[in-house]
Amino acid sequence: MPNQNGRVFGLTFLCPILDDETLQISHDLQIRDYLATLPTDERSPFALAPGTHVARLVVMDDVIYVGMPAHEEHLASKYLVFETNTDADLPGYLRTLFDAIPQHIDAVWSHCTGYPGTADFDKLLAYMKACQIPTTFFFAAVNDKSVTETLLALQTQRAVAEFITTHQGMAPAQLQREFLEFYQALQSLPCPAAGGKLPRRVIKTGGHNE
Amino acid sequence: MSKLNATDVQGFVLRGYNMPHARFCFLHFQNAAAGRHLVAQLLGSITTGQLWDNGKPQSTLNIAFTFKGLTALELPLATLISFPDEFQQGMKDRASILGDIGKNSPEHWDALWRGADIHAWVAIHALTPETLEAQFAQLNAIISATGNIHLLGSQDAAALVIDGKLSTKEHFGYTDGFGNPDYLGVCRNTQPGQGKLLPDGTWAPLATGELLLGYADEAGELPVAPVPHILAANGTFMVYRKLHENVGTFRAFLDEWGARYGAGDAAAKEKLASKFIGRWQDGTPIELSPDAPDPSIVADPNRNTDFKFGNDLSGSRCPVGAHVRRVHPRDAFGFNGKLVDRRRITRRGMPYGPQVDPTTPQDPATLDSTDRGVVFMALNASLSRQFEFVQQQWISYGNDAHLGNEKDLLLGTHLPGEKFSIQGDTNPANPPLFCANLPNFVELRGGDYFFLPSITALAMIAMELVDPR
Ligand code: HEM
Repeated sequence: MPNQNGRVFGLTFLCPILDDETLQISHDLQIRDYLATLPTDERSPFALAPGTHVARLVVMDDVIYVGMPAHEEHLASKYLVFETNTDADLPGYLRTLFDAIPQHIDAVWSHCTGYPGTADFDKLLAYMKACQIPTTFFFAAVNDKSVTETLLALQTQRAVAEFITTHQGMAPAQLQREFLEFYQALQSLPCPAAGGKLPRRVIKTGGHNE
Repeated sequence: MSKLNATDVQGFVLRGYNMPHARFCFLHFQNAAAGRHLVAQLLGSITTGQLWDNGKPQSTLNIAFTFKGLTALELPLATLISFPDEFQQGMKDRASILGDIGKNSPEHWDALWRGADIHAWVAIHALTPETLEAQFAQLNAIISATGNIHLLGSQDAAALVIDGKLSTKEHFGYTDGFGNPDYLGVCRNTQPGQGKLLPDGTWAPLATGELLLGYADEAGELPVAPVPHILAANGTFMVYRKLHENVGTFRAFLDEWGARYGAGDAAAKEKLASKFIGRWQDGTPIELSPDAPDPSIVADPNRNTDFKFGNDLSGSRCPVGAHVRRVHPRDAFGFNGKLVDRRRITRRGMPYGPQVDPTTPQDPATLDSTDRGVVFMALNASLSRQFEFVQQQWISYGNDAHLGNEKDLLLGTHLPGEKFSIQGDTNPANPPLFCANLPNFVELRGGDYFFLPSITALAMIAMELVDPR
């Protein structure tokens, strides 16, 4: 099934960017500028839009032909690429974005050709459908659990590990008592915010150990 | 594969010399002519990979260069910039990738590694202290006669003596020197567990290009190498790291957590120590013998490296985060072990510093502050793909092993709040244990990346014949 893997949806869009030579700063540069300043923690627009596993926005200027013999090829326009793994299909997820972060959608997509704005949901849906590319094999960021399930599972894993380190070796009766207390407390903890601070990982990623 | 010319490869690359004494000398060239002259003078004495069918020599000599060294030797610019960028940068500039932070960061390294640039590593291995000194005296004579070469410092290393016998132990008490890859054309006979796993469960030598430049690697490609080809071929890259061991900290930690493991007695402590590494201190792989050391396995080359983790995914025999399982996961990640074939390194390390005297008790602080540890040396065709990957992803991170942020217990640079988990054992007396408040057992005191050229390449360097065109 395209765009879906288990319970997770992979949605991909290619939206042509407006070309206006009269502008001092072109539309693609304005998108880049806006994206570069967005927070990436729990204030990220996509952390505020429930059901987002990962989201990626890329400005694609052109394609570069790699191979022999070299020859020139060009795209008809610049594109905004939007890729995301979500818990909902296109109408459902778009509704979430529409409700949670309309100002960001406007700020980004108002630089795109044919963008109808966020006044009318159905028009927006029709626009996104027109830009969508069916994905049959997409980057799946998760193991078929919802964002909420994943956040809760990580919280539970950390809490249980912490509980074990502080309680291992305790007399069984006391351990059981304290575990029940711990379990109750854990049940009543709210789901952690998406995009929140994870334990610090100081080591830098990269190198290029392909 | 074309036949390997062992006489063109430095012997240190093709085999561990198994000599009990070593001195690593670090040189600085005042100018290129002096450096070239030195290489020319040493060339005839460099130990090659030729087999020692007529007995071991008394001592050996090998040489390698840092990128700064090759620059000081005035190799052509087109050649210099063709070296892989991690080698050009050197170990200090890779600190954030290697996890060399806090006490391990370059500003805390030994003076030798913070002073004038190290250009060359000249290694002497010897059978006795006397033959070591004799070889060193010769080297010194050549250095003085050449002029304009500074011996910045040297590092001695020596096998530990246990019960009057030479051993392959390191200062924490573990026996080392088992696991090392076999490569096509390099080893006369291969040992199960050393090369790569085949789908039928047997082992075969790794492609030569995982060790030597100029040969096809496991991807069927020539490794990234400098130009011209003849400069690179039969050469390799070496990682040198002086790893200080905090023996007092290690012992105190083992006492503390050993008391909380299983029966909390001496046997439990010994078992716990084996869980950190994945081998009992005598070397028995715990994957093969989880309940007790077995000297018959240790003594048998057909068994002492022949194990897999595929049937122990829960880590009940060998913990998922044990050192040997991290650095050589074998089939632990599935796909018949295919995922690890390009992440193998050849180790040539040796212990340094005074042996802990078992007869006189010492306080942990003194045990820690004594200058002792492991001179870790590893060889690989690609520093970034092999050594750096192992260090970054498998020692300093746990994701591939489904261990999240957990690090190697002994090697990781631990931050407050980190833990090390030992899965429940096959023996019900040993339920899972989560070690917390992890101290830092090993500290980096200096190191760099070196290029170990072939004999031909050394001659070209000496004669100023390196031509990238
Ligand atoms: C003080 C530092 C270290 C100590 C005490 C240490 C100790 C050991 C011991 C006891 C073994 C088991 C014996 C054997 O299989 O030969 C071993 C194996 C090994 N270690 Fe380390 N090690 C240290 C640092 C490192 C580092 C920094 C790396 C890599 C970046 C590394 C990579 C390996 C590899 C690849 C093996 C062989 C595993 C196998 O093939 O099964 N070690 N080490």
